[in-house]
Amino acid sequence: MRILIADDDTLSLRLIERTLERAGYEVTAVKNGRLAAEELCRTDGPRIALLDWVMPELDGPAVCREIRKQRSDRHVHLILITSKDSKQDVVCGLGSGADDYLVKPFDPEELKARLRSGLRILQLEDNLLEAREEMRYKATHDSLTSLLNRGTIIELLARELTRTRREKSCTVIILGDLDHFKAVNDTYGHPVGDEVLREVGRRLLGSVRSYDFVGRYGGEEFLVVLNNCNASKALSRAEQIRNAISQALILTAKGPLPITLSLGVFASLGEDPWSAEEVLCEVDRALYEAKAAGRNCCR
Amino acid sequence: MKSFTFLEEFVNLPELLDRVENDKDLLAELLALFQEDLPESRAALQTAINGGNLRDIERAAHRLKGMLANLSARDTASLAAEIESTARAGNAQKIPELVSMFDLLITAFSIALDSFMASA
Repeated sequence: MRILIADDDTLSLRLIERTLERAGYEVTAVKNGRLAAEELCRTDGPRIALLDWVMPELDGPAVCREIRKQRSDRHVHLILITSKDSKQDVVCGLGSGADDYLVKPFDPEELKARLRSGLRILQLEDNLLEAREEMRYKATHDSLTSLLNRGTIIELLARELTRTRREKSCTVIILGDLDHFKAVNDTYGHPVGDEVLREVGRRLLGSVRSYDFVGRYGGEEFLVVLNNCNASKALSRAEQIRNAISQALILTAKGPLPITLSLGVFASLGEDPWSAEEVLCEVDRALYEAKAAGRNCCR
Repeated sequence: MKSFTFLEEFVNLPELLDRVENDKDLLAELLALFQEDLPESRAALQTAINGGNLRDIERAAHRLKGMLANLSARDTASLAAEIESTARAGNAQKIPELVSMFDLLITAFSIALDSFMASA
């Protein structure tokens, strides 16, 4: 863990620096408040700081105020370490946004204990953010295939259509449906069906660009949104996707299976104000045509 | 190894060694840093007194107090703290007397530091 120390007193700076290094911390030392604020505002800056009160440019409380204003995204644990020891100073220091207050001359064991307390708070924040990210992922992705879920892919489609209108560009929308998937489930069982869905998801992701969107639209239906895609290439892109699914057998616990996909394709041009609902009706109609034309094809 | 006995009259050595976690090399380094900084810090205090600016006196005394307190030089640090609080309280008349006493102590401490630096 990296810790920032800001103190214009060279002796104090060196003493704290050495104490922290001995305790295994990585130290960034600066000699005024402005440099401290700059370091702490960096995205990859230190997340714990020991700040002297009286410093050139910006004093310790001013650094605290600035960090609280600038870094609302992540918590930075700020400790004022100063020889100002009146109750009024402590109240004023904590009121400026400091998390803790330590009076100089400090006891090294107390300093280290307070840093450990700060680390516990940062760890708690990390755990909460990780949990939030995990929940956000679960709320937006399909648990079986890890593709975007239905709600998210429709939301992204609507956003892309708006952008398409604004930029007068083109978005290609493809709705794919696995052929005879019910037979796979009925013949080999649902676990094999799940294996097929997972592999199809992987192949779909592998056949589009990193900035395109792929979602599980329904049971065995997949929606692909190709951003900024030339309308004349819509069918050939859909063909590539179809090939990615059908060209190699899908290996399952019950053996390799030939799986194919029928696709309905629609290109939304910027000049046509299509809504997501209308586009979904169009691709559904095209998909129906592909199924009627014998499956394993694009329309 | 340098002899810390020269400093015992001015600093609380056991407390100081605790603070540096018995790292005598670090202690020697800190004392050298202090000795190097001292002329500038004293000059800043004197300039502030000559200028009669209480805010500058307070700031210069605060800086000296911080360094001396870190070195557990309690008597000298206490005097610096008194100059700081007297300046903050606006009691300009009392400051020259305090500064004279401080000068005596800090000069003696500085001589002891020279002896410490010169010791084998």
